[in-house]
Amino acid sequence: MKSRSQKTVKFLAITTAIILSIAYLLPIYVMVLTSLKTPYEITQRTYLIPSIDLHPENYAKAFSLVKNALLNSLIISSSVTAISSFVGGLSGFYLSRFKSKFSKILFVLVGISLYLPYQAILVPLVQLMARTRLALTHAGMIMSYSILNVPLASILMGTFFMSVPREIEEAAEMDGATKRQIFFRVVSPMAMPGYASTAILVFTQVWNEFLLALTLSTPQTATLQVKLAEVKGSFVALYNLQMAAAIIGIVVPVGFFLLLGRYFIRGILAGALKG
Amino acid sequence: MTRGVFMRDKIMNFLVFVLPLLIVLVLLYGMLVWTFYVSVSNWRGTRPNFEFVGLKWYRMMFQIDRFWVDVKNNLKWLGVGVIPTLFLALLIAYLLELSNLKGFETYTRTLILYPAAMSFIVTGTIWSWMYQPDKGVLNTILRYLHLNSLQSGYITNPDTATYWLVLIFVWQYLGISVVIIQSSFRSTELQEMVESALIDGASRLRILFQIIVPNIRGGLFILMGLLIISALKVFDIVYIVTFGGPGYSTDVLALFMYIATFQQHLVAFGAGLSVVIFLMAFAVVVPYTIYAFRRWFR
Repeated sequence: MKSRSQKTVKFLAITTAIILSIAYLLPIYVMVLTSLKTPYEITQRTYLIPSIDLHPENYAKAFSLVKNALLNSLIISSSVTAISSFVGGLSGFYLSRFKSKFSKILFVLVGISLYLPYQAILVPLVQLMARTRLALTHAGMIMSYSILNVPLASILMGTFFMSVPREIEEAAEMDGATKRQIFFRVVSPMAMPGYASTAILVFTQVWNEFLLALTLSTPQTATLQVKLAEVKGSFVALYNLQMAAAIIGIVVPVGFFLLLGRYFIRGILAGALKG
Repeated sequence: MTRGVFMRDKIMNFLVFVLPLLIVLVLLYGMLVWTFYVSVSNWRGTRPNFEFVGLKWYRMMFQIDRFWVDVKNNLKWLGVGVIPTLFLALLIAYLLELSNLKGFETYTRTLILYPAAMSFIVTGTIWSWMYQPDKGVLNTILRYLHLNSLQSGYITNPDTATYWLVLIFVWQYLGISVVIIQSSFRSTELQEMVESALIDGASRLRILFQIIVPNIRGGLFILMGLLIISALKVFDIVYIVTFGGPGYSTDVLALFMYIATFQQHLVAFGAGLSVVIFLMAFAVVVPYTIYAFRRWFR
């Protein structure tokens, strides 16, 4: 009886693995393959077969198209990650350690803004950026994204601080350490994995964001996603270039995911289960 | 500690821990209120105009056919994007728990989770190519397999285009959903309940729906909120794959808001659409925040 149902499970598991493999590997396979072909070869309708001679020069071409945007994205995403993680750490500590009426109100305000659709503040933000002329600089983009990512970073960091053991903290408090000393010298070093998760999540989110980048960025500050959309729009039939550019665009976040997947998953869980 | 020192300590704590967050929140909520304010103004064109016109733009919105097409499409996104993803993720997560095939879990999880690291712009670009009706990948495979009758126009058929777009969303969110459900399986109480039910000879499917699902309500609730909000504010996929076309058959509120505000410069009207999007998301966020609040301050 038991072995029969174990067999069913095994059968189902293998079937599922095969179906999912097709669904999730085919797009990537096609993407890599197409990026190495010439436009002529693409129109030959032999999509699943690699072409006889590969064309890595597509990547050189795609790279020259997106290289400025790549740099912009790196600057903006890393700065926002640093600012949001730092501020998020401070506010997360406050929300998880100071239980007062005020901190409860702040928590509700943070909770509501956590998944705020960007549309809800887009018009004033564009107006603000245009009025202050920050729209033309990286600083403006960094500021905008930081404002939007601090709530998430705060909740994530707060969640991680809650799981840090309290004993050392209490001992430090007995010795007369201030909350600030405790935060910077005791709790933060212990919550480094939490910072890593938060940083990866914020970085990926900013790197992949499109709506705000599309409306705020100027040709000098255009992020990678904006550039990729532009490449898709202006090289409609050149699927090889589109795919090569897209692959260049996913190297950083997918690299993070493959190398630091543990932190990535922990970040997703912290964001979903407590936020 | 003297009273002066105590006060200084409190002020320093406020400056360090609270003030940065407070500034962010004031800016965020200030801008939110500003959006409401713009939506009842008469701002058209590139120059701000704050003449109060009441609900004029909302009235106009409700009379426009495109608005209702968008609402219908957003509902399609909710209907097809949320419950099926949840259900599929539940089954996959359960299967991952049941099977003790070596490597199966790690492999499957990595496989379906990698799209979570990619942007909708990238996935949209790939899937545009998959869906391309004439030379695209899916139709080519079907032709190759002599299944010509299954070929379809995908995103070029106004009646079904939205569903093909939602499929991209499901594809991308499935991994995250599985991970979230799996983590809510991991309570010892639940494990014990499942084990005793197994000893009683309950079937695995019955265990899933009668024991596991009721016990992971919290996790499912959270995941559902996450999916609903993501489906509600969807913009990137539609922008990159169809830009609302053919006609405006795949248009959604978020895209209409972008076009109205930044291309047609009907800023007040666009702000009105933002308010509608915000209110829909708000309805989901409130119970979500209450739930999180209870867990946080218990």
